[in-house]
Order: sequence, then structure tokens, then C-alpha cells
Amino acid sequence: MGAILGYPIYNLVRLSLQRYGLFELIQHHGAYVGLHNFGSVLHDPIFWHTLVRTIVFTVVNVGLTMVIGILVALLLVRVSAWVRILITAGLVLVWSMPPVVAVQVWNWMTNSQNGVVNYVLTELHVGNFFQHNWYVTPFSQLSMVTTLIVWGALPFVAITVYAALSQVPHELVEAAEIDGARSWRIFRDVTMPVIMPVLLILTSLSIIWDFGVFTQPYLLIGQGHVVPGNYLMGIYLFEEGYVKTDFGRGAAISILMLLIVAVLSVVYVRRMIRMSEAT
Amino acid sequence: MRVGNARRAMWNTVGIVFFVVTVFPVFWMISTAFKPDDQINSVTPTWFPTHPTLQHMRDALARPYFWTDVKNSLIVVLVTVAIAMVLAFFSAIALSKYRFTGAKVFIVLVIGVQMLPAAGLIIPLYVVLARYHEVNALTGVILVYLTVALPFSLWTLRGFMIGIPKDLEEAAMVDGSTRLGAFVKILLPLVAPGLVATSVFVFITTWNEYIFARILLNDQAKQTITVWLSYFLGTSRNTDWGALMAASTLTAIPVVIFFLLVQRKIAFGLTSGAVRG
Repeated sequence: MGAILGYPIYNLVRLSLQRYGLFELIQHHGAYVGLHNFGSVLHDPIFWHTLVRTIVFTVVNVGLTMVIGILVALLLVRVSAWVRILITAGLVLVWSMPPVVAVQVWNWMTNSQNGVVNYVLTELHVGNFFQHNWYVTPFSQLSMVTTLIVWGALPFVAITVYAALSQVPHELVEAAEIDGARSWRIFRDVTMPVIMPVLLILTSLSIIWDFGVFTQPYLLIGQGHVVPGNYLMGIYLFEEGYVKTDFGRGAAISILMLLIVAVLSVVYVRRMIRMSEAT
Repeated sequence: MRVGNARRAMWNTVGIVFFVVTVFPVFWMISTAFKPDDQINSVTPTWFPTHPTLQHMRDALARPYFWTDVKNSLIVVLVTVAIAMVLAFFSAIALSKYRFTGAKVFIVLVIGVQMLPAAGLIIPLYVVLARYHEVNALTGVILVYLTVALPFSLWTLRGFMIGIPKDLEEAAMVDGSTRLGAFVKILLPLVAPGLVATSVFVFITTWNEYIFARILLNDQAKQTITVWLSYFLGTSRNTDWGALMAASTLTAIPVVIFFLLVQRKIAFGLTSGAVRG
């Protein structure tokens, strides 16, 4: 079993140091080229543009998922039991939707001809969205991807945070209330420290998922419509490594992605620990 | 918590609005799947299928390769779950009951692969499978899913097993059972809920998986159902939304059923494993 786990990683590193294209794939061995693949990726302006776009995308998606998830968990504490059961059942239903199915539902709801989103927004007088096309600019395309991802990730975060909230001692909250503390202060000084470990794990997991996300942007933007102008790292890797059959370069991109994800989560985890120590 | 009635009513209202908004996409999928075409294609939506039709279901089922690809998905999912459970079960026992050199390295490796986004695995696995001519074969996809499913299963099962006291197993051995007999009699019933929960979770993630299947399976007759569904939209401007939503509903049904069965245990397993680890 150790071999099953270790072999892909070993192979990934080895590939990244080789010239490995379609020819080498048929020959079954590549020629070592040192760090050439890494140099080639790091000199590619598309890599840097995609990286910045993906980091912004990840921060927005993880931020929205976590904030809304925590708010929903807090809401679950405050509503009546039957509303809580209703919301939880709804969240579980959403949680169980396969991503590809969700993409197709989004396609249907947001299509410019007769999508229900355009109808509802127009009826609510948000503006005139008659035949509005949601997939014109990279920004609007990725915004739609964001709604899809946050919707799909919300149940896991909300339900897990709600479970963590039940660990917060009632006496502490009541003591703070008697002391006249405002609800924001109670949340920050009593609730947050207790649920912090769970929040850290959820945030790290969300960063890992959102930074490498592929299925939702690839299928929602459309297989024929992904272009360097709207690439995310997962799609960049797919296009450069698999579509262009440059597996050595693809492996180098993979390794760079793994390093960046590691850095992104470590910085965050450390900062949160320091914050929780400071307060 | 003592909250005034007015306040509770306000939170309830917020809660119901939130419920309606989050569930709407799922409702809209099912509603569309049963609506006649003229209601679907109208600019003014019909909210409920007032004249329900099964035509879209029939259309979806009659599409080429639907059943073939459902069968492929089932094969891949069942074989992956079976192998993952057996291997993960024994590894979890080894990890929690016996000390062996390299156990720490092994655990780090398990966590490491779990942290790996799919992006890190695609290229090396594709190249390895191409080397052994397992591209465009279900066995190749199963091997790939195992590399993802095994660490997860092992990690979750370990979380379930840590809670079992060693004395129980020893008591069975004193009664004259062999080591194997001991864990079959004592351990298996105790771990059964964990095994069920873990295997359902593997079932769901495997059934839902898209990118590996998309890359590894090029032949329409060998694709899984998610890849089949992803090609449904096609390039034509006139998408058959009714049939697409019917197919989407059909694809989601097995996952929804299994998910509802074990959701509580999964949430528990994930958090307990994470916190304990």
C-alpha cells in the first residue's frame, strides 16, 4: 500500500525533470533535462497571470464559503427546531449533488435565452436581465463558477461548524451575557477560540480544493470556451500537460501548484494560530 | 439561549428564505425534468410541473451509451469500494494495533496524498497507465481511484478503530480464539458502522468523479456516467433542457440516496479524524 501512495509522487518528481511528450510516452522513457521544465513554466507569462487569477479566485471562494458557512451555522443555533431540520435537510441534499450535475443545472438556470435567474432578477427589479449573457467576460464567467462552488461547498462547512458550535460551553456564553458582553464580543472571545481548530481545518481543506479546482470551471465556462484569459491553475495544468501532451512540463506545473498550496495553507494556519493566541 | 419570540420569528424567516434559495437549483432540476417542452422553453417560467410528463426521462434513457456508461460507473464504483475497504481495513488494524517500523512515515504519506489535489496526480498516473496500456480501460480508472480512496478510507477507519479498547480483543484471544478469529468476532461488528460509512463515501466520490475519467477514457462505450453527462450539452444552440435535467436527476439519485443514509456518520468521521489526528 505504501507503494501505491508513494509511487505517483516519485513518478511526478521524476517526470518533472524529463522531456516527456507523446514520443517519449510511446518509447516509455524520457531524457533528463534537469530543471528545464520548471524554467520554461516560470518564464511563461500565462503561468503568472493564471497564478494571480487563481489566488484571487481562491481567496474569494474560500472567504465566501467560510463566512457564509459560519453565518449559516450561527443561524442554525437561533432558529426553531423544525426550521433547523428543514435547513439541514436542504443542506444535505445540496451536499449530495454530483459536481457535473450541478454544472448542468447552473447551465440551465443561467442560460441567456430563458434562464430562470434572468427572469427572477428582472422580476425583483434588480435590473433588466432579459437575455442577459452571464458568460461574456472572464470576470463574469469566474463569478458564475464562484456561485457554483460556494453553493456546493457551503453544506460541508455549515454543518461541520454547527457541530463544532455545540461544543461551546453554555455556562461561558451565559456568564458573558450576564457580564453584559455584546453578541459580537461573545462570538469573538468565547465561541471563536472553541471552534478555531475546526475552522482551521475547513479553511485549509477549502484552499486545497479551490486552488486546484477543475471540473466546475472547465465545464461551466465550457470545454470550447476555456482560454488563457480565463484559465485557473487546474485548467492551465490540464491544457499544458495533457492536451499539449507535454507531460514533463505538466509534472513541473503540478509540483509548483503543490508547493504554492502548501505555502498558502501554512501561512494561513500560522497566522490564525497567532491571532487566536493574541486575543 | 433565551430569545424573544419576535426575534425567533425573524431568524426563522431568514432561515426559510435561505432554505428556499439553497434548495432551489435541486428543485428546479427535478421540476424541469417533468415539465412539457412548451413550459420549459417559455420565457416566463412555470414553477411546478402542472402537467407532468415522463417524456424527458424516456429521451434521456434512450440516448446512446446511457446504460453502457451507467454500467461502467457501477463496475468502477463497486470494484473500487470492495478493494479499498479490504485493504484499508487491514492496514487500519495494522496501524492501530501493532507497532512497526515506518508506521509514522506511512501515516505522513497517507496524509500527504490526501492533501494532494487531483492536479498533482493526473500527469504521473496518466503516464504510468499509458506505460502499462491501461489508458481507455476501466482497470486503469479503478487503479487511479484506489490511490485516492485508500488513504481516505484508511484515515477514516483508523479514526473509528482508535476508540476500540485493546482489552476486548485480548479477552477474545484468552477464550481460545486465534488472532484472526478474535478480530472477526470482536472487531468487525464494532467497526461495521465505520466500514459502511467509509464505503458509502468512497461510493459517492467515485461515482461523482470527473477529471480522471475524462482524461483516461476516450471511448464513448467505456466512459463513466459523469463524462457522459458532461458531453450532453454539446455544441448545438438548441439544448434539450428537459432531457438534460432528466439525465441529471437520474445521475444524482443513487448519490442522494446513499448520502442521506450515512451523512451523520460522515460528518462525524471527518471531524473526529481531523481533530484527533
